[in-house]
Amino acid sequence: MSSELERRLEAMLAEAPEPDPGAGEEALHRAVRALRPVATPRRGLRTAALVFAAAVVLLVIAAGSLAAAGALHVSFGAKAKPRPATTQLVLPQGANGIAAVVDGRLSVVTSDGFRLQGLPVSAAALSPHALFVAAGIGNSLVAMAPDGRRAFSHPAGGRVVAIAWAPDGFRIAYVVHAGRRFVLRAIYGNGTHDVVVDRSVRPVRPSWRADSLAFAYVGGGGKAVVYDLRHEKHGVLGSAAPVTGLAFAPVSEALVVATPGSVFLGKKKVATGEVEAIGWFHGRPAAALERGVTFPLVRTFGSNGRPSEAFSVPGRVVGLTGGLVVTWTQDKVLAGWRTKSVSTLLKVRPATSVDDVAIG
Amino acid sequence: MLFRRYWRDAWRAAFAITGRRSLADDVAADGFERAFAALGRFDERRPFGPWLHRIVANRALDLLRAERRLSDEELPDTPDSAPSHAAGDRSLLVAVADLSLERRIVVVLRYGVGMTPKQIAEALDLPVGTVNSRLARALEQLRESLEVEHVE
Repeated sequence: MSSELERRLEAMLAEAPEPDPGAGEEALHRAVRALRPVATPRRGLRTAALVFAAAVVLLVIAAGSLAAAGALHVSFGAKAKPRPATTQLVLPQGANGIAAVVDGRLSVVTSDGFRLQGLPVSAAALSPHALFVAAGIGNSLVAMAPDGRRAFSHPAGGRVVAIAWAPDGFRIAYVVHAGRRFVLRAIYGNGTHDVVVDRSVRPVRPSWRADSLAFAYVGGGGKAVVYDLRHEKHGVLGSAAPVTGLAFAPVSEALVVATPGSVFLGKKKVATGEVEAIGWFHGRPAAALERGVTFPLVRTFGSNGRPSEAFSVPGRVVGLTGGLVVTWTQDKVLAGWRTKSVSTLLKVRPATSVDDVAIG
Repeated sequence: MLFRRYWRDAWRAAFAITGRRSLADDVAADGFERAFAALGRFDERRPFGPWLHRIVANRALDLLRAERRLSDEELPDTPDSAPSHAAGDRSLLVAVADLSLERRIVVVLRYGVGMTPKQIAEALDLPVGTVNSRLARALEQLRESLEVEHVE
């Protein structure tokens, strides 16, 4: 039995306002980060305190190891008793290194023979030529030299959620979750000269321009912003929002921008559809568009924004990088498709979360 | 994807309970974070929505109660900005905001989220009779508030 009052209540509550897109992005980030191989039951403050204390001890061990030896001790991962999320990571032909974050754990393989598997991180990025790996560990930005030559651990003031290493290797731009905000910072590649670039940004990985003198990021309002390091100037690019991805061209100043439903080359809209990934594919701007039940479509565009070529790939596209399309099927991460020489980069358990894959 | 499917509803439920955007952002995000962290314990044979709403509702309650303890006074229940629907039924919105936290949450879960009294009882860990009596008293209070306003 429904009274007039009950009908009014239902109508009123059905017309509640909509959430802000930014709140959704932050919530999504937090939710995905919460997807852990082994969920820790919440049993009150005592358990939380014990977990926190254990985490602090592990971080101290990790930081101490890095500082003392200048190299990463893989035993750090063993102390945390990680459940292996992946099988062995395979370096694609011609690449210097590959880094993958699966279920919040970093695996790295470089052409120098360095291997790392199972390090809990919040974000990671390879330096040019995969000479270094930068990762968010606890509330620090940590740089690891695969051969043990150098490393630094820099307190970031919060969880590092996105990292981008400049093409010249001299600087790193990174986004920190500090309190209720995301702060964009930039630091020299040796761990010094850390500066705040913007105190309110979205948790999207910045993208460096090819000359390493500027990088693009997503401002707090959801629009693409280009920061010029020489003049220390911020310039808003276009009105597309909320921007979910950015990718500067590897050799020019062209920038591809993605929103949830569109792809832009600079300010020009070049494609519409649910965007899975953007990047550059053999020198052309490219976007992977979701197509519902069928395989996603990878489109490339000319410099004028006109469609150039299109092809389907299986799974979900997680990256367009280094001339490769990287896709994630149910239990594999694959790369290839330009020359039909598809290779398996790693195998993952079903229902794991492939957070990031970078090839350098 | 679970998040895309349920985020809007979870946020709207959080907003309906807390009446404030900033709190709704926190509550809904925290609800998802907790739900995703506990996915391993979720019974896949049961629907995800009610389980998530339960987490969101309890989180909202915890937060509002903690806030009330801190301020030692009644909450600033009035929504922080007049939502678009308020113009159409502002008197009802104000009346709902005047309900006690315990009554307001059962009203929101019943009429905003669409949960049955039994589901609400499970979500809030209350006897079904208590939920029904809170609903009845809440409706009675709302009717009285609207009648008083009508007379005035």
